[in-house]
Amino acid sequence: MTSVLGYFGMPGLPDRENASGLASVTVYQSEGRKTDQASPAIAVNSVYKKFRSVEALCGASFTLGNHERLALLGPNGAGKTTMIRCLAGRTRPDAGQIEMHGKRLPATGGRGRMGLVPQDLAIYGDLTTRENLVAFARFHGLAGKTLRSRVDWALTWTGLGERQNDLVGGFSGGMKRRVNLACGVMHQPSVLLLDEPTVGVDPQSRQRIFQMLDELHAAGTSVLLTTHHLDEAEQRCDRIVIIDHGNVVADGTLAELVNRTIGASRHVKLQIDGPVREPMRGPMATWQVTGDPVANVLETRVNDVAGQLPGLLEGVRDAGYVVRNVDVRAPSLHDVFLHLTGKELRD
Amino acid sequence: MMIFTVMMVSLRRLMHNRIEMMLTFVVPVAFFSIFAIIFGGGIGAGSTPQIKVCLVDEVNSDLSRAVMMTLHETAGLKFVSGNGELTKDEAKQYVRRGTASIAILLRRDQASKAEPKAMVADLLSDTSDQIAPQVVSALVMKAIMASMASIQAMSKTNQGDVTQASGTLPMVGPISVTPMTPPSVTIVDVLGANKTNGVISMYAAGIAVMFLLFGATGGGGVLLDERENQTLDRLLTTGLSMDELLLGKWAYLTALGVVQTTVMFAWGQAIFGIDLIGHFDGFLIMTIVTAGAAAAFGLLLATICRTRGQLNGLSVVVVLTMSALGGSMVPRYVMSDRMREVGLWTFNAWALDGYDKVFWRDMPVGDLWPQMSVLMLCGAVFLVTSRLLAIRWEAD
Repeated sequence: MTSVLGYFGMPGLPDRENASGLASVTVYQSEGRKTDQASPAIAVNSVYKKFRSVEALCGASFTLGNHERLALLGPNGAGKTTMIRCLAGRTRPDAGQIEMHGKRLPATGGRGRMGLVPQDLAIYGDLTTRENLVAFARFHGLAGKTLRSRVDWALTWTGLGERQNDLVGGFSGGMKRRVNLACGVMHQPSVLLLDEPTVGVDPQSRQRIFQMLDELHAAGTSVLLTTHHLDEAEQRCDRIVIIDHGNVVADGTLAELVNRTIGASRHVKLQIDGPVREPMRGPMATWQVTGDPVANVLETRVNDVAGQLPGLLEGVRDAGYVVRNVDVRAPSLHDVFLHLTGKELRD
Repeated sequence: MMIFTVMMVSLRRLMHNRIEMMLTFVVPVAFFSIFAIIFGGGIGAGSTPQIKVCLVDEVNSDLSRAVMMTLHETAGLKFVSGNGELTKDEAKQYVRRGTASIAILLRRDQASKAEPKAMVADLLSDTSDQIAPQVVSALVMKAIMASMASIQAMSKTNQGDVTQASGTLPMVGPISVTPMTPPSVTIVDVLGANKTNGVISMYAAGIAVMFLLFGATGGGGVLLDERENQTLDRLLTTGLSMDELLLGKWAYLTALGVVQTTVMFAWGQAIFGIDLIGHFDGFLIMTIVTAGAAAAFGLLLATICRTRGQLNGLSVVVVLTMSALGGSMVPRYVMSDRMREVGLWTFNAWALDGYDKVFWRDMPVGDLWPQMSVLMLCGAVFLVTSRLLAIRWEAD
């Protein structure tokens, strides 16, 4: 056994070739999107889980492709955490099947090939950064030079090299999150499960954490994360799965979800110079008065911005209003989510 | 108004917290009851504990037989071997092994010039019980005086040719009555005479076992912390199994307990003169099995509980109760027989009996087998039970 103290090595991202022990590179198709391996990293097929009278998962099915970043979204109580726990082997499904790289996942989960980053800070606050990294590396079975190399890599990756001998308990929330993340990837898992990895951290720390995840993704790790930040899912993930009442209600890229739900129309919002004086008729019937009438806001949707918007603006001007501001917005994941679940994500 | 609001908030918080309520109202009553039972001999009984004694009669006279009969009728004494058939050496062994607290030796005073030589009493004592020799000394003195008076009175009656009344002492052999001078009763320490603060080692053991239990329950509580902050989830997704996790924690707590107790006894040797080095083999064996049992007990309590708060409340109640009953707080010789029997249901009592054999009675390691067997069995049962309870944490 190597001493916990006194590791010295060259920092840097080790070559993670063969880290997952998989070499096959074929084609996986989902919603018309191509990825690069035959069997998906994770395939969830009709998984059910009931806790007494509560049905947490009701036949949920989805896949996580190799080298893919997948966001699992859903309101609170939708079954996201139960799904993560099922994947990690911490919850046994009542029915259904979970496969990892084409092989059925054992009851203990994908130990050795899967990394778990829980929502809570599942690290030892009364150990230093290095001690935490060494401990979790050992729990994952690393030893000797490999262990030292991974610890040095993790210190560089998290940017905590200068704080390696400080107790983690004294760190800021963002720094603790980085250590929490690093402890889940010490063994170079081929699949990384993250349950709300950026909860409670400031925007700069979120940015840093996603940079770290981007590096893992670039190195070939498949990433499945749950988040309450829709912008993270939009910008940082290749595909989105929306889960509600224990079932998958949507699965695809952002563009696919938009097309399948609210279409490609653009949302147009006008601010005019005064309140609407009379009921909307004729060309003005397209517009809806929304919000506080004193705010003088008109809203509508257009499928062809370039073709339709000039005519709409002319109609408003002809009705005697002066347009103060025009806001044209593409449909967002928030719109899709609201459309599918009828709830804000925070509900 | 603000002060009243602060009071009301505090009261409402207390009412919402069952554990704090229990610690505030139930635990003090429970402890008062335990100590009342220990010192009062039972609920409403008020009887004093009996002192275990054995008798050696080297005089074998009417007086010595009368003294034996009188002592047998004394309520405060319990005879573990009572008819004087023991030899002096056998009686010493009774005391050394803790079978009796005191051996009452009735013998002729060889220094006496009178014929027949006067009878004296030696109390071969285990002075770890500092009260018993004083009590027995007074009782023996009283019994000798009363017997002498009775025999003298009977002698006068015989000389007056009065028929012997039934129920009086049998008159066998020559009447050997000495003048009514105060009898000599000497306390002889057969255990601690050559020891340097052996009694302190017993207190050190009592405190050490209690803190082993507190340390182990605190250490076991880390398991609950890990469960609450999802570290346990993460650990069980690594190569670590629940068996390895529990055994790792048990081994750590055992090793920590051994070091903790050794430090305490080393301090005792340096400052209070406990003979640790002279008893190191027995000490080490007893400390390892006691620390192992305590560590397993800590894990058992942790796996019974759902939260750290529950564990804190439960451990305070259980550890203090076991310590009180098992002799960590009050020496077991002060307790009534009933309480001593109850105390044997705690492993504190077995551990303390083991340390007592090592440090006070100088018994060889082989004689520790009853204590070692019970403690190892307790440890194994606690560990297996905690493992079974931990199944619920392995997967939902």
